[in-house]
Amino acid sequence: MGDKNQIDQCATQHVGSRFFWNRAQLAYREVTARYAIVLLVGRNLPQGIRPGEFVLVRYTEDPCLPRAFSVLSSSREGIRLFVKTEGRVREKFSTSPLGTEFDVRGPYGTAYEDKVSMDRDYLLVGGGSGAAPLLYFHAAHPDRVAGTVYGFRTEDAQELLPESGLAIESLGAARADDEAHRVWKEGQGIIACGPEPMLRLLAQAYRGQPDIYVSLESRIGCGIGTCLGCSIETTRGMQRICTEGPLFSLEELPWLS
Amino acid sequence: MAELAIQRVGVRFQTPVVLASGPAGLGHELHGQLDFSRIGAITAKTLTPEPGQGNPQPRLVDCPSGALNSIGLENPGIEAFLQHDLGVLQSLDCVRILSLAATTESALAEMAEPGSALPGIDLLELNLSCPNAGNRIIGADPSAVASFTREVTKVASVPVLVKLPGDSGDFMAAAAAALENGAAGLTLINTLRGTRIDWTQGKPFLKRVYGGLCGPAILPIALARVYEAREAFPDALIVGTGGVVNLSGLLEMLMAGADLVGIGFGLMADPELPQRLAGELTDWLDVRGLDAVEQLIGLAHKGGFSVH
Repeated sequence: MGDKNQIDQCATQHVGSRFFWNRAQLAYREVTARYAIVLLVGRNLPQGIRPGEFVLVRYTEDPCLPRAFSVLSSSREGIRLFVKTEGRVREKFSTSPLGTEFDVRGPYGTAYEDKVSMDRDYLLVGGGSGAAPLLYFHAAHPDRVAGTVYGFRTEDAQELLPESGLAIESLGAARADDEAHRVWKEGQGIIACGPEPMLRLLAQAYRGQPDIYVSLESRIGCGIGTCLGCSIETTRGMQRICTEGPLFSLEELPWLS
Repeated sequence: MAELAIQRVGVRFQTPVVLASGPAGLGHELHGQLDFSRIGAITAKTLTPEPGQGNPQPRLVDCPSGALNSIGLENPGIEAFLQHDLGVLQSLDCVRILSLAATTESALAEMAEPGSALPGIDLLELNLSCPNAGNRIIGADPSAVASFTREVTKVASVPVLVKLPGDSGDFMAAAAAALENGAAGLTLINTLRGTRIDWTQGKPFLKRVYGGLCGPAILPIALARVYEAREAFPDALIVGTGGVVNLSGLLEMLMAGADLVGIGFGLMADPELPQRLAGELTDWLDVRGLDAVEQLIGLAHKGGFSVH
């Protein structure tokens, strides 16, 4: 877990709003070929982040847009993320030495529990690192979860999430949407997070059913709802993935198919 | 402590740091989140006569040292803004600039006349240079700049800034056309037209192919436009905007001749940046024994710091 005193010394003194960057350190990491679980710690990191909310992370001093990550868990200990190992910030997560500094701000977005009807049971359908917010939702609201399908192409994620009953294609599982079709029962809602092709297949299969929700992705600019870089068309007008989203009901997205 | 305030065109800016149109939103998003006493002015997101839905996703593409954006002037339209958003913008403790765009002179003037008469609106900015809306960049055509500016300044009751492109048309002729037709100043520059190809798919990332490049990559181009405009128009108010993400960029922009410095990409990537820059600027001036930011404005045209 690293040297806690050292980590505290390096944490910035700055206490800002959720609009401001806070210094974090990479304190723990488990990594496989394609995925990693990382723990970011820092004195002023946001706490109490809820399932579905996300944080922005940048590699310190990188003059590019930050990257958005839905959290796997959030506690006094820090923020845990489950990420792919490819990509600008993600590569840094998986290759930089422990203690490497990142900047974190947030949380942003609408928590799943504020978006979905909490009187229904849900099948959680994740694809790849899209499983992260669903795993967190499952841990927070086990009584609302009727079943889970966390689809992965290869088995290396199994090492990181051994308890989670992953549906792994290289070990014979069907694609996540087909697995979902096998276990979903009439009357259940769905919360899905993963690659857009998976969300489109689910939309085709479940359009018309109540309480089917999909978590959308886009490049996030500001995270705070001003730049409109993540605006999408919905039946309620233009909505921001960073603010009203990332979760939307299928009814709000008639174009998704 | 060094003085950051400057007075131009009858308006007092408490610092030279301006929130550029776009990432500043309409005011309510940043209300209560930033220390506006350190902000010189906020430029609201560009408003059009009718609501605008903007461009399809993706709207942002990563670039080395910046990003391409293709927002496409998404906005609620002037009427909805007046009903729902104006009040918070008026309450912000800094200069308030309304940014307006329209496809005809009369449509722009119809917004500008009542818009400039609103209490708490200190300046207008005419966005004649968005690379992401329609097919025509008005600011690339000096005669169009002249007619759009003239029609607005005839009816506007506050000073008018004209925001020009940095990469299309006869820039100096467009700048002259704006100033000769009543504009008090220039906002230089808008984002620069660019594209990127998704080589894994063999097609452009953006549905409209082209977007506007912003971020540190465009700083040298913005500096060149500011420098040449300052040389030609010593009395114009110039808001230098483009690629400033740190104190050195802010200093360069001031020394090149900007009275005020707009922060766009930098605000998007780091909402705290504008107020932090104001603080860093004060410290920098104090350390060097300078009394006021005025001493930096246009310094590069005056031989720089004299050797002691």
